[in-house]
Amino acid sequence: MCDHGKNIYKPHLATITAMTDETPDVRSFRLEFQDEAVREGFAFRAGQFAEYSAFGAGESTFCIASAPTRKGYIECCFRAVGRVTEALRSLEVGDTIGVRGPYGNSFPIEEFYGKNLVFVAGGIALPPLRTVIWNCLDLREKFGDITIVYGARTEADLVYKQELKEWQERSDVRLVKTVDPGGESPDWDGRVGFVPTILGEAAPSAENTIALVCGPPVMIKFTLPVLEKLGFGDEQIYTTLENRMKCGLGKCGRCNVGNVYVCKDGPVFTAAQVKAMPQEF
Amino acid sequence: MPKTITEQNLRFLIDALIRDGKRVVGPKRAGTMTLYEPLGSGEELALGQLPRRSAKEAFFPLSEPLLSFRKDREGVTVTDVDLGRFPETVLVGALPCDAAAPQIMDAVFSWDYQDEFYLQRRRLTTIIGVACTSADDACFCTMVGLSPTETRGSDLFLTPLEGGGYACQAVTDKGEALFIGHHELFAEAAAPTPLPPARPEGGPVDLAKVKAWLDEHFEDAIWEEVATRCAGCGACAFLCPACHCFDIVDEGTAEKGVRRKNWDACAFGKFTNHASGHNPRDVQNKRYRNRFMHKFKYYDDKFGKTLCTGCGRCVRACPVGIDIKGILEAIMKYE
Repeated sequence: MCDHGKNIYKPHLATITAMTDETPDVRSFRLEFQDEAVREGFAFRAGQFAEYSAFGAGESTFCIASAPTRKGYIECCFRAVGRVTEALRSLEVGDTIGVRGPYGNSFPIEEFYGKNLVFVAGGIALPPLRTVIWNCLDLREKFGDITIVYGARTEADLVYKQELKEWQERSDVRLVKTVDPGGESPDWDGRVGFVPTILGEAAPSAENTIALVCGPPVMIKFTLPVLEKLGFGDEQIYTTLENRMKCGLGKCGRCNVGNVYVCKDGPVFTAAQVKAMPQEF
Repeated sequence: MPKTITEQNLRFLIDALIRDGKRVVGPKRAGTMTLYEPLGSGEELALGQLPRRSAKEAFFPLSEPLLSFRKDREGVTVTDVDLGRFPETVLVGALPCDAAAPQIMDAVFSWDYQDEFYLQRRRLTTIIGVACTSADDACFCTMVGLSPTETRGSDLFLTPLEGGGYACQAVTDKGEALFIGHHELFAEAAAPTPLPPARPEGGPVDLAKVKAWLDEHFEDAIWEEVATRCAGCGACAFLCPACHCFDIVDEGTAEKGVRRKNWDACAFGKFTNHASGHNPRDVQNKRYRNRFMHKFKYYDDKFGKTLCTGCGRCVRACPVGIDIKGILEAIMKYE
């Protein structure tokens, strides 16, 4: 973690070096820190997040979407849905934003060594898992089978389309991509059906397997029973929770779910931990 | 022998501290009410009435700048706030319910990340507490493990005496330093007789029992019963010595502006609203439940302390009559 000096609320400055419109309302940024010491020293773990500033508009919370194994840059991915995210989207390559972080806990990747991995994601919830996917693919020999089940409402809503192609072409990854019924185009070559349904049909084995699930609350709600039916225990299932955040570091009192601070105790949780929380998220 | 100080000398002490270049904050008359404000002289100290707001503003201002930013052809420059610039402060005349609160809040402001905006002010502040000789029916410090003579949180503690003046007790080294630095203003008395302390109604509440009940009753009819009426005005949070939730906002434009830390309250409707429109606390009683749970369960779970000092300000201020001590009493009756 980079030293923010005495002012924990002061962001590092980063330049937007590349951007992609993943969907009509989702944009991803590649960012390089302007300070050399920060650029060299910035380290994070998959699952951690940062507070990204559009100066003048404010800060917004997104995961760090690039893999921690890749140095020299970080990436983020966000939907333009409010004042700050619209301000971020109005920026151009070469512009400066602020980045505070990394914050939060992370996926315990080392505990997954030697196991099979099943990634289940929906829509714009792919970025928090994408960081893990590339982290694991960069260390491919450490893991068993890797299965990715990813879907969105329509083809246009799929993010990281280029990477989906790469994963599809790899022989050491099984990608099952899907769109909701009615969301397919005439030459769609994936499945059609809601993510939980398609997961059930793909039926990955629960034996020596960890499942990582990210998606809107409704998708999680229907995915957990499918995993349960496939034999996954609550300690074998990991997810991330999101909540409205401001400080990102445990002080402003905004993101708690019961006595759990999503910014400090999370955002990564096991299904067992999520079930133990009061259902206010 | 116990030390004492006369009313007159207490005011001279304040004048001396001001001459020394210290910022002195204390209860001051403001119209019909009393507020903790910076004092211009010892004359302005107005003890004997509960200040309307808590003393937390001395450590945690209502609004403060965190940094400023500027954009020009070369790029963006972020300018830090000078964290060395906070003045040395003496908070004189803090009631026990107000003096005890910063010690409770210290835990969250130093949880892994050190919030120097708060912690620096804490380091630079000496607290002179004073015992209460009167209480109204909203006061409930005795229900939450404190009392009108509680010295916890004060550096120097004054107890009003029969015949005037105060007995003085150094609770910490900072308090002791005041004796040493201004020894000519203090006297020694063989057996000073204190005035009888205030007697708030309501005996001690078993806070462990309350927490144990809260552990099991996130879902319970009580929340709708007591809190559907909550107007979401946030007065409780703003007046409370221990509430510390805040917002971070940018003011200005992309070219030039300031990022500020401002008080906020979980009572407000949009506090937990997601950009998508989803709100985990979508109705008011869920928001009140969070306030109560934070004070009597979550803060204990995380830091081992109760986030309430029983000052009663929320009870006095609530426009719809929600009574936090009444809820504590109701919970105590369960089981």
